[in-house]
Amino acid sequence: MTFSRREFLKNSAAAVALSAIGGPALAASGPQTAEKWVKGVCRYCGTGCGVLVGVKGDKAVEVRGDPNNHNAGLLCLKGSLLIPVIYAEDRITEPLIRRGGKKSPLEKVTWDEALEFAASRFREAIKSKGPDAVAYYGSGQALTEESYLANKIWKAGFRTNNVDGNPRLCMASAVAGYLTTFGKDEPMGTYNDFDSATCFFIIGSNTSEAHPILFERIAKRKQSSPEVKVIVADPRRTNTSRIADMHIFFKPGTDLALLNGMAHVILRDEMDNNRFHQRYVIFMDNEGKPKTFEEYKAFLADYTPAKVQEITGVPADTVEKAAKIFAESSASLSLWCMGINQRTRGVWANNLIHNLHLITGHIGKKGASPLSLTGQPNACGGVRDTGSLAHLLPAGRMVANEQHRKEMEKFWGVPEGTIQPKMGHHTVALFEAMAKGDVQAVFIHCTNPAHTLPHLNKHTKGLETAFVAMTECFMDAETVKYADVVFPAAFWCETEGVYGCTERRYALTEQAIKPMGNSRPVVQILMDFAQKAGVDPKLIPYKNAADIWEEWRTLSKGSPYDFYGITRERLKKASGIKWPCPTEDHPGTNLRYVRGEDPLVPKDHPNPISFYGRPDGKVVVYLRPHQPPFEPADADYPFVLTTGRVIDHWHTATMTGKVPELKKAYPSAYVEINPQDAAKLNIRNGDQVVLETKRDKMTFPARVTDTCMPGLVFCPFFDKNKLVNRLFHDATDAASREPEYKICSTKVYKQA
Amino acid sequence: MPAFIKRKPMLLFLALLLALGGFFAYMALAFPKVRCEGAHLNAPDEYADCLECHLKTTPKVSQDWHESKHGVLLVKCVVCHGQPDGKGSIPFNPAPDPMFICARCHAPSIQRMEEKFGLKPECESCHPNHQNPMHRNAYENRAPSDKTNF
Repeated sequence: MTFSRREFLKNSAAAVALSAIGGPALAASGPQTAEKWVKGVCRYCGTGCGVLVGVKGDKAVEVRGDPNNHNAGLLCLKGSLLIPVIYAEDRITEPLIRRGGKKSPLEKVTWDEALEFAASRFREAIKSKGPDAVAYYGSGQALTEESYLANKIWKAGFRTNNVDGNPRLCMASAVAGYLTTFGKDEPMGTYNDFDSATCFFIIGSNTSEAHPILFERIAKRKQSSPEVKVIVADPRRTNTSRIADMHIFFKPGTDLALLNGMAHVILRDEMDNNRFHQRYVIFMDNEGKPKTFEEYKAFLADYTPAKVQEITGVPADTVEKAAKIFAESSASLSLWCMGINQRTRGVWANNLIHNLHLITGHIGKKGASPLSLTGQPNACGGVRDTGSLAHLLPAGRMVANEQHRKEMEKFWGVPEGTIQPKMGHHTVALFEAMAKGDVQAVFIHCTNPAHTLPHLNKHTKGLETAFVAMTECFMDAETVKYADVVFPAAFWCETEGVYGCTERRYALTEQAIKPMGNSRPVVQILMDFAQKAGVDPKLIPYKNAADIWEEWRTLSKGSPYDFYGITRERLKKASGIKWPCPTEDHPGTNLRYVRGEDPLVPKDHPNPISFYGRPDGKVVVYLRPHQPPFEPADADYPFVLTTGRVIDHWHTATMTGKVPELKKAYPSAYVEINPQDAAKLNIRNGDQVVLETKRDKMTFPARVTDTCMPGLVFCPFFDKNKLVNRLFHDATDAASREPEYKICSTKVYKQA
Repeated sequence: MPAFIKRKPMLLFLALLLALGGFFAYMALAFPKVRCEGAHLNAPDEYADCLECHLKTTPKVSQDWHESKHGVLLVKCVVCHGQPDGKGSIPFNPAPDPMFICARCHAPSIQRMEEKFGLKPECESCHPNHQNPMHRNAYENRAPSDKTNF
């Protein structure tokens, strides 16, 4: 069938309209004519853009932006080129096992054999060493239903809290930051705030490359309103700074001093919002002891702009200007990502960003919010909210809290005392325990730790020692080398499930096509595996993912995470709904904690804002001193090495590496070095450069550019042939246990 | 059509072939150390890193793109044009079909244009992809900089 342009547009409009109400639609799309469009969420970053998957026959042929979702139809280059990932040549489509240990080859087997092979090893481990001998290592890319189910199977079924995952590596500090300051996790603002903010304070985030569609929204806002100011604080001057009014280069690891310096200027010049912090804020030191406002001011006396300049290298007048723009704008929005979270004082840095908002009152109104950006599509909804980490239970409950454990035991219908009071191993400790033999069998789902863990030379020993069962879609994932069993998982639009993105938005990806080959939805794999491994079948009575959603939705009822009103039917119709959403007729919440906006705040509450996360209804401004990173540069290792993303690739490139355009735009990793440093070391563009740290040394081609400030070098981490994490230490934040991927000291020299 | 073309079509064909071959040979030899137009022939692993060479070979188009909204947002060449060996996930086309390429992100805008003004034959006739005024003024409220981040 061919369409004229006019017919195409009519059909396209019909497709958009029909997709919004969940019905099938017809649309033409150039070379490949899609017969129907199926709604979903992009597979990549935490922005959570809506997509429409065009299907022809039994194949997905095209991806478009969903006009009804927050991205208004727009997609970045990765999202628009998703189709080749589905049909990658190295898709794993059959169950595989290694019969003769880690060095034997992977062999194709039946599902029954693979499941029994894995389950028997789990049974043996529990029998010989108890329930803590097994673990689950999950992912912020797993569907919500999968993470909730795994959490239940391990914590209530196997009776171990050894449930952790890659969100520990990316946003655990943001979680602990929200928890300590506000009492509950997840931000109060949403992307709608981008359209009202008049000051964007972006720190430790290359939004342009890591969250391109959010960057587009900031750029659009700035274009439409010239008074909008964008401040970017980052030791790298990335593409994000192309729209910035002010770029603040600070020495890596001195962010705490910079943030305290800004707070100092705000209070010194009386740019704070006295009425706001008198009513809503309490002050605390590191030990949790209450402090007064005057004591907070005295504490900040150490952070005069001149002193901050000494520590951070930021000119004193820049600190003054940044503080003034932030405080005096009508609505300031802070955005941060891994530059703040992946630090040994990541939680403190998070607290200090919140401080700026709480002393100025830039919170609880349109455009004013501290909004942490997440890296993965379902770290928020899937892992944070369902409590699928070693210290958490669902909907904001904690393992260490007896009342919370009792509530979950009652809800899950297991005897009291089933859930252990002891927290499980966080990620770094888990892989150490695997190396020691304390954890003998692990189930890894939807993540690639052999590529992403810090101090890889140390932590791959855990994968070599323990029995590893994993779900995976792509054969070239580094972790497959260590797997004893590989379960072929249905990929993205081959199954259905919910993603929850940065802004508390839950959106459903519907099944567009059948799972490839013999692969299966992971919900099915987890249930079959658990049954064979000896978990009580009563714990897993589900027919499909929708049943699990129903249980999870019911569990959220009445909690601070209440999304009982987000039914599966509503998710099929709407392109995402933001919680809190307690009833089916509630449209979702933009301004959390705000009377008249947040349904969990009584309409007759005496204050316009109710911070109900903490029992006293107050939020906390912390007196957090500056502390250096774990491994600052020194005389022997004079440079700082940092890592991050490039726009073309996502995480370990097991997906983006399958798209010819993306792979060939950035085929391999490089080291970015400042021209001043390059001149001193006689390094020219393209030269082979050695990075040598206390752990290992590696060679990269040089890219001489002034993106990095002098003294800093940067390597992207997507390249499996250049596993840059081998160079890193594994020091973690004392509270969040998130590793410091952003800073280690290194030698840099030209290869002889 | 000039009469000699009718008489000697093969001669013209050979002359064109020679000119084309000469061009590529020149580009490959004239820029031996930097990847350039010759990359279309000899750097298959970097087919999609268009800008690296095109900054030199087609500087105006490259700079226009860099200053455009697509440039600021890093919607790179291959997203609309495909890659030159034609082995990418979308067809290589120097002048992409708006109904196939632009519509992937801009279907709602195209729809609005139709409702407001009647359908225009090509997006590009009013919204030139690599030229001002539409793109040159993009994000003009940002701080001025001639910095290239590549």
